[in-house]
Amino acid sequence: MSALLAIEDLRVTFNTRYGQVTALDGVSLHVNAGETLGVVGESGCGKSITALATMGLIPMPPGRIAGGSIRLEGEELVGAAPARMRGLRGADIAMIFQEPMTSLNPVFTVGAQIAEAIMLHQKVSPDQAFKDAIALLDRVGIPSPDARARDYPHQLSGGMRQRVMIAMAVSCRPKVLIADEPTTALDVTVQAQIFDLLNEIQRDFGAAIILITHDMGAISEMADRVAVMYAGRVIEEAQADDVLDFPQHPYARGLIDCIPALGREDHALREIPGVVPPLHLLGAGCAFADRCEHTNARCKTEKPLLAAHGHHPAACHAVEEGRI
Amino acid sequence: MTDQTTQSSYKAESPALEAWRMFRRNIPALVGVALLAVIVGATLYGTFFYAGDPFEVVWAPHEPPGVTPDFPLGTDYLGRNLMAGMLTGGGPTLTVGAAAAAITMVIGITLGALAGYYGGWVDNLLMRITEFFQVLPALLFAMVLVTLFSPSLWTIAIAIGVVSWPQTARLTRAEFLKIKELEYVTAARAIGARNKRIIWRVILPNAMPPLIVSATLTIGVAILFEAGLSFLGLGDPNVMSWGLMIGANREYILDAWWPVTFPGLAIFFTVFAVSLIGDGLNDAFNPKLRER
Amino acid sequence: MSSSYLLRRTGYGLLLMLGVVVLNFLLIRLAPGDPAVVIAGEMGGATEEMLESIREEYGLNKPVLTQLAIYVGNVLQGNLGESFFFNQPVSKLIADRIGPTILLVITAQLMSIALGVFLGVIAARKPNGAMSAFVSVFATIGYAVPVFWTGIMLIILFASSFPIFPVEGMQSVKLRDAAWYVQTIDILHHLVLPAFTLAIIYLAQYARLSRASMLEVLGSDYIRTARAKGASEKSVLFKHALRNAALPILTVAGLQFGNLISGALLVETVFNWPGMGRLAFDSILRRDYPTIMGVLFFASAMVVIANILTDISYRWADPRLRGRS
Repeated sequence: MSALLAIEDLRVTFNTRYGQVTALDGVSLHVNAGETLGVVGESGCGKSITALATMGLIPMPPGRIAGGSIRLEGEELVGAAPARMRGLRGADIAMIFQEPMTSLNPVFTVGAQIAEAIMLHQKVSPDQAFKDAIALLDRVGIPSPDARARDYPHQLSGGMRQRVMIAMAVSCRPKVLIADEPTTALDVTVQAQIFDLLNEIQRDFGAAIILITHDMGAISEMADRVAVMYAGRVIEEAQADDVLDFPQHPYARGLIDCIPALGREDHALREIPGVVPPLHLLGAGCAFADRCEHTNARCKTEKPLLAAHGHHPAACHAVEEGRI
Repeated sequence: MTDQTTQSSYKAESPALEAWRMFRRNIPALVGVALLAVIVGATLYGTFFYAGDPFEVVWAPHEPPGVTPDFPLGTDYLGRNLMAGMLTGGGPTLTVGAAAAAITMVIGITLGALAGYYGGWVDNLLMRITEFFQVLPALLFAMVLVTLFSPSLWTIAIAIGVVSWPQTARLTRAEFLKIKELEYVTAARAIGARNKRIIWRVILPNAMPPLIVSATLTIGVAILFEAGLSFLGLGDPNVMSWGLMIGANREYILDAWWPVTFPGLAIFFTVFAVSLIGDGLNDAFNPKLRER
Repeated sequence: MSSSYLLRRTGYGLLLMLGVVVLNFLLIRLAPGDPAVVIAGEMGGATEEMLESIREEYGLNKPVLTQLAIYVGNVLQGNLGESFFFNQPVSKLIADRIGPTILLVITAQLMSIALGVFLGVIAARKPNGAMSAFVSVFATIGYAVPVFWTGIMLIILFASSFPIFPVEGMQSVKLRDAAWYVQTIDILHHLVLPAFTLAIIYLAQYARLSRASMLEVLGSDYIRTARAKGASEKSVLFKHALRNAALPILTVAGLQFGNLISGALLVETVFNWPGMGRLAFDSILRRDYPTIMGVLFFASAMVVIANILTDISYRWADPRLRGRS
C-alpha cells in the first residue's frame, strides 16, 4: 500500500548562533487517505518543523532540508520548484495554525481572505469566490455567514477565527490537512467543537488529517494512528489505541500517565521531570536519557532506532533489552 | 525586582557596563566617535596651529583650494580665508547644537515625566500643549523667535530648544507610563518615597537608555537647525559659522564651488558622526534588535 | 467612519489654529520694543502717522485682552494685516504663494514615500543583504546632509555639468504665455530638483522605517497563512505585508509634515521657488512681522490639515480603528 503522504528519513538543519543544529533527525511518517495521524510531543520536538517542511514553508536560510524525502501521491516535494509548491499549498495540502488570533490578516475581511485562497487555485470570478467563501463559513458553523464574511478578524472571537481558518484550509478540498495545535489557544468548550468540526470535515471531504498536538486527550478523541516525537525524531509509532493503552517508550509512558482525568485543565507534560534539551546540546546518546529513569551506559552513547521490540515500534534501548 | 531599589547602585551599573561592552565592539559607532573627536578637536585647538581671522579679507576672491599654500582651502567671494572659517566655524555650530539639545532634553523630559507620572488632567493638559507645539513648523517658528529676540548664540539655542522638545516629551511620557507600572516603583511607593523622589530617582534612571539615544539624535538635529538658521542669515552675525559661510557664498556657487562645499561637508560629517554614535548607543541598549 | 469623529477632529484642529493666532499675538507683544514699531517693521523707518494708524487698527491703546479680541477678530475675518514692506495685504501675499509650496511639499512627500517604501520593501526581503546595508547607510547619510546644501550641490551639478533640469524658479519667463499644458510641463520640469532635494532626507527615513516595519510584519503569523494558501511571493510582499507595514509609515508621514514644511522653506530659498518659504525668508530679513505671522499661521494650518488627513487615512487603512473614537 502506498501512502497518500509519505515522509522518509527527513533531515532539517538550522544555522543558529550556536552553529548548525539538527531540528529533524531522520523523521519518517506517513498518512493514508481519510486517516488521522496524531503527532505528539513537547514544544521544540520538531512537530511543527515537520509540518512546515511538508508545506515547503521552512525559512531558508537559516533552515535547510539536508536529506530525506516527502512524497505526496508519489510526487517528490523536497526540492520541488517553488511554483509547483505554491500550486500545491492551499490546494492539495492545507494547514491550520495554532494561533487563530494572529493567523488572519488584520486588514482584510475574512470573506476576502477565504475567497483569495479559492481564487489562487480555481478559475472562478471574484464574486463567485466570495459566495463560495460564505458557503464555507456556513459549512464550518458560523452563524449569519453573509454578514460575518464582511467582518474583519478582530471582530470575531478566537473560536470563530479558528473556524474561519478551517474554512480557508478546506476551501480547495485538500488531500492532506495539517492541523498544528488547532485548539491550544482556545477555551476548553470551544476545543471540543473544533474537534467535532474537523471530524465532520474529514467525513465530508475525505481529507487525511495530520493533527499536531501535545494534548493526549485530543489524540484519544481524534487520531487513528499516533507518532510520538522527541528531539527531532519519531520515538514511537502505532495505532492510537495501542499507544494509549500500551505505551512503550518511557517518554510516551510519561505522556500517557499525565492525561488529565475528566477533561481537567491539562497539566500534561510538567510531570515528566526536566525539559527537552536544546538542540545544539544533543549528544551521541538517547536525547531522553537525562530525563529517563531507565537510563544505562548504552543510552548515553548510542542513539536508539525505531524498531519493533515489544508491542509496537519504539526507539528505546530499555524496551529492546526488555528492561521495561 | 524589588531588590532593584535596595541594590540600585549594583543593578544600575551592570546594564550600563554591558551596553558599553556592546558599544565598544560596534565599528560604525567607533568611527563616529573618532570622527567627532577630530571635528571637535579641530574646532577647539585648530586655531593654535593655523591662525587666521575668518572675517578678514586676505587675498584675491575665489582663489581655488590647493593653489596658495597659505590658504589651503582657497578664499571666498570676498577673498576671506576659508581654512580659517572652517576651523572657527564649527564653534557656534557645536556649541549651539549641544546647548539646544540640552534645553530640548530638559524641557522635554520635565514635561514628559510629569505627564506620564501624574496622568489625568496634568497629562491631558501637557499633551495638548505638546500637540500644539508640534503643529508649528519647527524651523519657521525658530526663525520667528530668533528674529523677534535678535540673534545671538543663546537666543538661537533657546529657540531651537523651544521648537524641538515635543518629541522628547512624548518619548519620556511613554517610558514613564511603562515604567511606573513596574514592581520596583510600587515598592518604592510602599516604603513611603515621595512623588518627587520616585520621578527623578526611581523612574528617570530606568528611562534613561532611550532618552540618551534620543538626546544624541537631538544634537544632530540641533546642529542642522543651527546651520539652517545661519544659512538664512539668522545666526549671530558677529560669529563665523559653517552655515553662514554657505549662506554668504551661495550667490556665487556657479563661479566657485569650494566656498560652499567645504563647510557643507563639515556639517554633514559632524551630524553623520553624531548619528553613528546614536545608532551605536541604540544597538548597545537594545541588543535584541540587532539579531534581526 | 463616523461623521462625529470627523467633526470632533476638525473642531480640535480649529482650536489648535486659534492657539496659533493667540501665539502670534503674544509673540508680537513679547518682542522687545513698541508693538506698533514691531508691526511696521524695524527696517521700514515708519512715520509717526503710519504708527498711529497701526495703533488704531490693532487697538494698541486699549487693554491687552481687547487687543487680543481685535486681533483674533481680524484673523477670523481673513484679515491678517498689511505688509508694509510689500505694500499688500498679507492674505493676498500668501494666497499668491501657497500653491507652489503645496505643490512642492506634496510632490516631495509622495516621491519620498513611494521611493522610500519601495527601497525598504526590497531591502526587507533580504535583511542581511547588500540592499539592506545600502538602505541603512543611505538613511544615515540622508539624515545628516543639510537640505539646503544638497540643493546647492545639485544646482552646481545641474547648472554646469548636466544642464537638463532648470535650477531656479518655477516657470520659464519665455513660456509665460504658452498654452496651459506647455506651462504645466514647464512647472513640472522646474519642480524636479527642488522636490528631489526635499525628498532625499525623508526618502532615506522612509526606506529605513519601511524596512524595519516590513521585517516585523513578515515574521507574523498571517504572512505564514498567506504563504500556506499558496500566495505568490509578490502578493505576500506587496499585498499582505505592505498593507500592514504601511500603518507605521502613515503615522510617520503625518508627523513629518511639519518638518517637510520647514525643509521646504530652505529649499524654496535655495531654488528661488516662489512659495511661502521664500516669502518667509524675505519677510524675516525685512522684519515684516505681519507677513511672518501670516506665514506661520498658514504653515501651521497646513500641518493641522495634514494631521487630520493622516488620521482619516489611518482609520481607513486599519479596520481595527474604524468605528472607534
